[in-house]
Amino acid sequence: MAQLTAHKRVLHADLHGDRIRAASGSMVAVEGNVDFKSSGMGGGGGMRAALKRAVAGESISLMDCSGSGRVYLALDAMDVLVVDLAGDTLTVESEHILAHTEQLRLDVQFSGLRGVTSGQGLATTTVSGHGQVALVSEGPVMALEVAPGAELVVDPDAYVGSRGQLSMNLVSGVSWKSLVGEGSGEPFSLRFTGHGLVLVQSAER
Amino acid sequence: MTYPPGNPYGGGNPYGGQPQPGYGQPPGNPYGQPQPGYGQPPPGYGQPPPGYGQPPPGYGQQPPYGGPPPQGAPSGVPATLNPQSLPDDDNVNPYVFCIALNGEWFMSKGAMLAYYGNIQFDAVTEYSSVQAWVANRFSSPVYIQDWVVAQGHGKLLIGDRGFDLNAYDLDDGNLTIKASNLCAFSKQLELKQSIVPGFVTLIGTGKFIASSNGPVIFVEPPFRADPDALLGWADCPSPSVHHDAQWMTQNIRGMISGALGRASGEERQYDFTGQGTILLQSSEIAREDPAVLRLVESQTQLLTNAQAGSLGQRLVARAQQQH
Amino acid sequence: MSFETVNSKVVRAHVSASTPVLARRGAMLGYSGQVTFRPVHGQGRGIGGMVGAAMSGESNAMMATEGTGQVLYGYKGLHVTVLELDGGAPLVCEADRLLAHDANLQTSVQFLGSGGMKQAISGAMTGQGLFTTNVHGRGSVAVLSHGGAFPLQLNGQQVGVDPQAYVGHVGQLSVDLAAKVGFRDVVGRGSGEAFQLRISGHGTVYVQASEQKF
Repeated sequence: MAQLTAHKRVLHADLHGDRIRAASGSMVAVEGNVDFKSSGMGGGGGMRAALKRAVAGESISLMDCSGSGRVYLALDAMDVLVVDLAGDTLTVESEHILAHTEQLRLDVQFSGLRGVTSGQGLATTTVSGHGQVALVSEGPVMALEVAPGAELVVDPDAYVGSRGQLSMNLVSGVSWKSLVGEGSGEPFSLRFTGHGLVLVQSAER
Repeated sequence: MTYPPGNPYGGGNPYGGQPQPGYGQPPGNPYGQPQPGYGQPPPGYGQPPPGYGQPPPGYGQQPPYGGPPPQGAPSGVPATLNPQSLPDDDNVNPYVFCIALNGEWFMSKGAMLAYYGNIQFDAVTEYSSVQAWVANRFSSPVYIQDWVVAQGHGKLLIGDRGFDLNAYDLDDGNLTIKASNLCAFSKQLELKQSIVPGFVTLIGTGKFIASSNGPVIFVEPPFRADPDALLGWADCPSPSVHHDAQWMTQNIRGMISGALGRASGEERQYDFTGQGTILLQSSEIAREDPAVLRLVESQTQLLTNAQAGSLGQRLVARAQQQH
Repeated sequence: MSFETVNSKVVRAHVSASTPVLARRGAMLGYSGQVTFRPVHGQGRGIGGMVGAAMSGESNAMMATEGTGQVLYGYKGLHVTVLELDGGAPLVCEADRLLAHDANLQTSVQFLGSGGMKQAISGAMTGQGLFTTNVHGRGSVAVLSHGGAFPLQLNGQQVGVDPQAYVGHVGQLSVDLAAKVGFRDVVGRGSGEAFQLRISGHGTVYVQASEQKF
């Protein structure tokens, strides 16, 4: 079975006659006999999902890597993190997805108001099933716990993904607006409540 | 297992190539190899922030990745951090610093990554009208609009473009630092604009956080630094500008551009003499610093109208050349 | 003489009368001692090298560092990898990857890949950087990469490398430029080039963790 291993900023994808999906253009080197084929936009689900993505603007271009050998994948010298999923669901900003094993399912979910003004992430991507997903981030990812009494506010540019029973609200207002520069960044932040983990990267842009 | 246990920053040499000093170093030597000839940080300046170069609490604990995850977190996700396990005024990893906020801190706009607790952010300009002491602490009109006051109680995580972050403890001292690399400072410190454009000086006793592209390199005078690589200096007198005579005579183009700006940096350096410490980083891809424009614009008041017109024409020509 | 690694992005050179250094212009971060810098034009030795450099665009503005002192080199926060050349096979890399090298090392320009002049010209035109610099001799070279260069050891097998991520190679290696079928769709975020470097033989290939060139 295909195996994903993170080596700081490079992902090793070892293929044994099977297939993974990876962000288009992320292949930096390849050993063995591996074929690359564009698999269009991320996720499955046919026409309806494709339409949803077109509307949502949450799109990533993916490629199929199949065969036997090792593919070296990297994106803009960002750190790589491999997450093993065992039937659970991870919510991820799509531009952070570097690769995933074949058995995982990518879906697009609307997340309400989020992104109304930013033009980015009207919807977010969920990854679910059994397998591995590799994420990229600026600097290592921190997993910040959210629990009752420990609500978390995150800069939208630092937000990578989340899991658990979380609800996300927009925080706006004078206090927040003074925090971001004129015309730079988004005029709101994300407040998470509930129970779960929020993945945050080390750079705000 | 995605990272070697207990050594999340690649002490295991992930590329199998060059060792990467500064990552996964033994504790107590956070800035890479011993640097003979280059000054160690003097007491009180740039002291090794605990948690930098050693696994900080909650981060990189064994097993950092892929071990039995708390609360059924998917394996591969790094150890969970919460308000209790986040460090107090310390690095979470080389690129993220956690301020245990209890009162006020000055913070650069955009430095905030996330926070727990009850924290309010106000523009320094607005806050100073309510709290008179603010204007005394932050005496730089050029930079004031790029800063906010964070006020309240909680854990505040800050970062800067994924650069390395370091905490500096001043003990009745002063340190001058590149303004665009300063991320936050405690309200006990006083900020003043340096005479050297693009730099600010912090004075007093307290803590501040600054970023650097790669780990900070400490050197001692006499030393000449490329202006782009200069992160700051402590104790020594302000630098003078050194022009490389040989370079200038050999490179006529360099001489012309040396009059208006700089060609490559080799023809012009900041010259440090006396006693003190100089902080360097790898020269960075210049970030647009809005304050520089304001700074230069204020200087043009020295020009006559004719001079201003002539300068304007030259600037237009330069802008067109670059496109 | 060898470059001393200060951290992942900065190296230090001990320059003396017998060990001058050639470095990329703009790469000097600072120095102590009696050191002077002199712009060096062109590249390589002799007319051939100069012509090749001018035609290929592989000429990079360099400078000589002379005198006695310690000099720090780095460039725009890029990662630096120091390679020791034993006088055998040359280091092959693109000119703009060279941060600094011992001045006694020699450089020359070479076209990388097969296909002759026509392809070479078109490669140069499209900015694929198919012209490379050979660094010969015994000494140290400091090479730039975005995010660090990782080595791939080849013992007779073949490896495919994204030209944007290719940093350089050392050894008995042959390099082919392959236009791979079906590749056009999946490579090049914006580059649109369906090329892949096919490298085989015995030696080491250095690849960076990014498709960004600088």
